[in-house]
Amino acid sequence: MSVLDTLKSLIGRANKDIEENLSKEAESVEEAADAIQTSSEEEIETKSDSETISEEEAAEEVAEAEEEVEAEEAPVEEEAVEEAVEEVPEEEVSLDNAEESIDDKLSEDEAPEEAVEVAVEEEASEENEESDNMTLLKENDIYSMDDIDKEFTQKFVDAGIETVDHCFQCGTCGGGCPSGRRTPYRVRQIVRKCLLGLREEVVSDPALWMCTTCYTCQERCPRSVKIVDIIKMARNEAAKAGYMADAHKATGSFVIKTGHGVPINDKTKALRADIGLPELPPTVHAFPEALEEVQKICAACEFDKLIGFNMETGELE
Amino acid sequence: MEIAYFLGCIMNNRYPGIEKATRILFDKLDIELKDMEGASCCPAPGVFGSFDQTTWATIAARNLAIAEEMGAEIMTECNGCFGSLRECDHLLKENPAKKDEINAILAETTDKQFKGETKVRHFAEILYNDVGLDKLSEMFTKDLGINVAVHYGCHFLKPTAEVGIEESAENPTILDELVEITGAKSVPYKNKMMCCGAGGGLRARDIDVTLSYTKEKLDAMAEAGVDAIVEVCPFCHLQFDVGQTEVNAKYGTDFAFPVMHLAQLYGLAMGLSADELTFDAQLIDAAPVLEKIE
Repeated sequence: MSVLDTLKSLIGRANKDIEENLSKEAESVEEAADAIQTSSEEEIETKSDSETISEEEAAEEVAEAEEEVEAEEAPVEEEAVEEAVEEVPEEEVSLDNAEESIDDKLSEDEAPEEAVEVAVEEEASEENEESDNMTLLKENDIYSMDDIDKEFTQKFVDAGIETVDHCFQCGTCGGGCPSGRRTPYRVRQIVRKCLLGLREEVVSDPALWMCTTCYTCQERCPRSVKIVDIIKMARNEAAKAGYMADAHKATGSFVIKTGHGVPINDKTKALRADIGLPELPPTVHAFPEALEEVQKICAACEFDKLIGFNMETGELE
Repeated sequence: MEIAYFLGCIMNNRYPGIEKATRILFDKLDIELKDMEGASCCPAPGVFGSFDQTTWATIAARNLAIAEEMGAEIMTECNGCFGSLRECDHLLKENPAKKDEINAILAETTDKQFKGETKVRHFAEILYNDVGLDKLSEMFTKDLGINVAVHYGCHFLKPTAEVGIEESAENPTILDELVEITGAKSVPYKNKMMCCGAGGGLRARDIDVTLSYTKEKLDAMAEAGVDAIVEVCPFCHLQFDVGQTEVNAKYGTDFAFPVMHLAQLYGLAMGLSADELTFDAQLIDAAPVLEKIE
């Protein structure tokens, strides 16, 4: 285990202790409040039972009793919270001690002190947001082996895009990317994540769909990485995982229904006739058996299921 | 010479003037455009290519097989169709396992097989390499004398390693040369090689991002001072035409650059009427540039 990890686990444990103490305090406050409420309710019930009074008077008394409860409750809560808060600094002291002891251990081991300082600064920045900490790394930026799916990376290799492995992260791709200039799309980062096998992060990221496939990145890549192929393959995986825009499903449904992504309309039919072209172009539009072939291909590839198209009703579900 | 003419979707189903001008031009050049009967969507690389490679490749391979049966090379006038068909052709020629997989699906669903016997070519590249600028110039009767912003689009030349058109992706001249033989001047402008913003399924998914691309292009064209935009892709055509009105609505701008596919520009140079070129079907009024030509 690295020094940094040791430090993190110690700090993590200390934080957990604080949380536990706080929640215990909170529980005791709740218990106290419950006890007060229960006793005053009993009081009211006793009163109502022993004396024969009108309903109005009873209601008044209940209201008074409730006010009493509220008045009593508030200070108790405040006190308890104050106590809990007072306890926190003590824990912080012990946290500091833990850090110090690690610090000592490190210097004994002649470990690089800089790394420790950075780590301590990171913690400090969490306590004080205005500190001049330069790192953008946050706790949740750290990946574990659970995030990694090597089969995901293998898909690119199997599809003939083994160049995913050639990327040395120079950033030439992002430097020329027109979508990178205006959206959160970071092509270099996506290529890296694909290579690392961070499937879930890649497929769930809406920015994956901000690429226009303009090939500027691929054209300039000094390692000849087939970047656009990587993006399209990643989108195939995203589509399988259900991340599809309705507008894309609609375009897909046009092709199943008509054989064209942009089918003919009445206006263009008239326009075609006006200039001496056949109303229907000699495509699937003019050959119904050809359309049937396209539909059979879509069914055989289960494209209809992928986009949620119902072949029976001829509509998207 | 015979060519299998792949229509695609947007050109024939939205801007038929591009198809009309092309048919007339190739007739004059004595090149036979043979219809690919029953061809479908290429299919759209941004949607099908991004969703399921197998579906995309099978539909594309079916289109390629139609041309193979005709024994001809394919010509398309759309960068998207060119990209999709060319990429599929390349994939199946390079990857025998994928080819077998796709052919198995084709055998199950059609009477076609992908054999790898055709070549996918772009309209502009055929004109430049097979016809040549000199012969093309002979077809023209009008000197256009307008200033235009040439937009290359993305899938015409890129990725150069696979496309194989001998031209620079960063600083090409092929389209500028094709444009300038009409007497129109190709004016340099900032971010000339940048995407129009419509591709990759972005227009359907996030129109605001697409429009911010288009606006960047239009701003640069305005700065350069052009009369019209010339491109070789009906999807870019749609984006500069429809998208231009959307940019104006969103940003409060008043861009009014008429949009022409290279085939329409050639139509004008051949003396075809604006009606024949279906400029009236476009949202941005072409009248100012047409007046300048006459």
